[in-house]
Amino acid sequence: MSHLLENFPVEMGFALLEYRSGGDFVPITGLPKWFSELWPGLAKASAPIPLTQQSPFLENFMLEAEDFWNSPGSAACQSETWIEKSGSGREIPVQARALFLGGKRILVLFSPDSQFHEQVKMLQTARNALLDHERLAREIQKKEILLHCIVHDLSQPLSVMHVAMDSLLEEPISERSKQFLTLGKHASNQQETMIRQILQTFSDDLRASLDAGTEAGSSTDLLKCARKTMALLGPTFEAKGVRLAVSASVVPESRWPVVGEASRLQRIFSNLLENALRYTPAGRHVTIGVEDEGDFLKAYVDDEGPGLPRDLRPEQIFGLFMKGKQSGGKAGLGLYFCRITVERWGGSIGAVTLPERGSRFWFRLPRAVAGTGARGSDLRGSADSAAAHRKHTHIRPLRILLADDQEDIRTLTAHQLKRNGHKVVTAEDGIHALKAFHASSFEVVLLDQEMPGMTGDEVARAIRKAEEGKKKRVFLIASTGNTASEDALRLKQGGFDEVLGKPFRLEDLNLLLSSAPVAKPSRQLLVQPSSPAGSTFAELVARVGGDEKLLKRMIHTFLRDTPKRLTGIAAAIRRKKPESLASLAHALKGSVSIFGAEGARKQANVLQELGRSGELSGAPDVLAQLKEEIAKLQANLRGYANQTPARPKSKRDSRRRPPRNRGKRRR
Amino acid sequence: MLQKKICMLGSFAVGKTSLVRRFVESIYSDVYQTTVGVKIDKKNVQVEDKEVSLVLWDIYGEDDYQKMRWTYLRGASGYLLVADGTRKATLEKAVSLEQKVREEVGVIPFVLVINKSDLIRDWELDSALESQLAAQGWNILRSSAKTGEGVEESFALLARKMLG
Repeated sequence: MSHLLENFPVEMGFALLEYRSGGDFVPITGLPKWFSELWPGLAKASAPIPLTQQSPFLENFMLEAEDFWNSPGSAACQSETWIEKSGSGREIPVQARALFLGGKRILVLFSPDSQFHEQVKMLQTARNALLDHERLAREIQKKEILLHCIVHDLSQPLSVMHVAMDSLLEEPISERSKQFLTLGKHASNQQETMIRQILQTFSDDLRASLDAGTEAGSSTDLLKCARKTMALLGPTFEAKGVRLAVSASVVPESRWPVVGEASRLQRIFSNLLENALRYTPAGRHVTIGVEDEGDFLKAYVDDEGPGLPRDLRPEQIFGLFMKGKQSGGKAGLGLYFCRITVERWGGSIGAVTLPERGSRFWFRLPRAVAGTGARGSDLRGSADSAAAHRKHTHIRPLRILLADDQEDIRTLTAHQLKRNGHKVVTAEDGIHALKAFHASSFEVVLLDQEMPGMTGDEVARAIRKAEEGKKKRVFLIASTGNTASEDALRLKQGGFDEVLGKPFRLEDLNLLLSSAPVAKPSRQLLVQPSSPAGSTFAELVARVGGDEKLLKRMIHTFLRDTPKRLTGIAAAIRRKKPESLASLAHALKGSVSIFGAEGARKQANVLQELGRSGELSGAPDVLAQLKEEIAKLQANLRGYANQTPARPKSKRDSRRRPPRNRGKRRR
Repeated sequence: MLQKKICMLGSFAVGKTSLVRRFVESIYSDVYQTTVGVKIDKKNVQVEDKEVSLVLWDIYGEDDYQKMRWTYLRGASGYLLVADGTRKATLEKAVSLEQKVREEVGVIPFVLVINKSDLIRDWELDSALESQLAAQGWNILRSSAKTGEGVEESFALLARKMLG
């Protein structure tokens, strides 16, 4: 029986050892197999064994065990599991417990093998789940931002759909066709409502997570934020050997109050500085500067790195998940964050390669003015409330400058405006819009907010600056997809008189035009039916406001310039210059669009996209097709150019009906 | 030979075990295997003119399931504080662990190792916080147990600090 009891601990896997002074142990029973596997030398020894020398963990545990043995009655003393490695490399979990047995100090060692593996399995599952959860949360955050972009982009084509259907409804079409169109309008209105709801929900969420504490009226000091960020990042710059400084041109004691919130402004600086540091070699400089631009203050970060990546266009750099091929950057959200934050505060952001070396990343924010925290009315709300009056609105003929980089919106809106008797000049981007503004006189300027080259905001500021000291003030309308009330407020503070939410209905635009101030009393004009869209001579005449001479000049210019442009495009393809190709194709696309040559426009657009992507392998084939399309167009236009001027008649006549002998003339 | 105890501290899944395996055995596995309990390894290194035996205590990452036993730090000459560059919260955890060590065992040498530098595209750490810590005198190195980048350097730096 006593033999059985003696073997019981061994059979159960326990090693019972009596603790002797000096750190030695004497086994009081046999030793289990795992013990022998782990410490074979000790298991065979007959003398007291120096166990703590074999196991640093036990050596540490003995400090607790001795405390226990020296204070009888204290709480039980047991170790957690630790892992020992056998000579063969097998990992063996071990636990230790100190206790008194028969007045002796006993150390019990045991290996909780199966129990341990169960515990590992459970913790592994729990921690994997936690990691999955973290990954999922990150993905959701990225996708939320992506969703915002998609929803925003979805709403853009609705503008075209609205205007196109409005235009068709005013054409002489059958009642049945009108019914179909009305159904289409109804569906597109429904879609617009849904998109607005999604956008609004998302905006609320985004505002809750990103804009906590940020109101339109918040203001902060641009230079102070820059300096704080510099202080924070200074050691990192030092570690890399890059010198960080404020530009010598900045007056230190000046105040630089801008619309924005300090912590996020610092994050913008931080992102831009980190970006600069990433590309600046040791021994070079990174410089922060601020400049006064009147109503706006501009900050910039100059680095002495290799300049902007060649694989990305400047505007792409601030895109979502955008990273250059040479980039060592993060997830592609840093600069995107800068853009959406700056734009939300009513500013703009950009980057250029500096002439000597390096690049400049800049952003501008509205100068903070006391009392800017007042909230404006919701754009759609204002448009809807006013819409009740629109059916009775008569619009006097106006000289309108329309700038929108989306060609379809530009063409259709211009078409509608001209049909309503207005004189319209269009511009495909902000720079051309400003040129057109200075070249002619307008009563109304309608500017898309997001355009390449110069944004609508920037054009508006330039126009207001040019008007300083003059009595005449143009009526400025912003068209924008950002329809939150603070956006409207910001745009109005930026110089716009009215804001038109995209997608817009023609009635909304007419309503705003009816509120344009009158320079001189003018007769009221009723909406007139128009000629059908297309590229016949009569339609082209209608497009240029009935001015045949102007049309012929345009045709002449087109026929003169197009061969040069085609030669330039061919050279850009041959010399593998994608940027030149994109630029030349873009210009040609605009030219052929004037004449309604859809086939040529499409081919030019494909070439433009190929240029932008940098992939030119398919470009020669597309150019060949473009040449064919242009040859057809040129033949038509030469025919038009040789036509005798039409019989003088009133503009109203030319608008009301197409020439009766149109077919004969073409032949 | 001089013997120095080093503890590996940090959140779970930051790569403490992987760093030790890379340092001691030059092995790396992409599969995450959680550590339960404590694993102890040894490696002899040359620090300047001295040969030192480093006893590496790879301690489980503290979380809701396992709480850290501060008695493990008894006798430690230094510790490697490990964070995962792709998980911002792990740096915050490292900061709180450092504070706790100071409270429990006093000031001992340590090096902050920001691991997983091979995953730079998923990097989530705020450089501002990193800079702030560097400004406070923290020694910070980036490492990758996967590629081996910065691993030897981290242990060597800590060993120098422990002997200095």
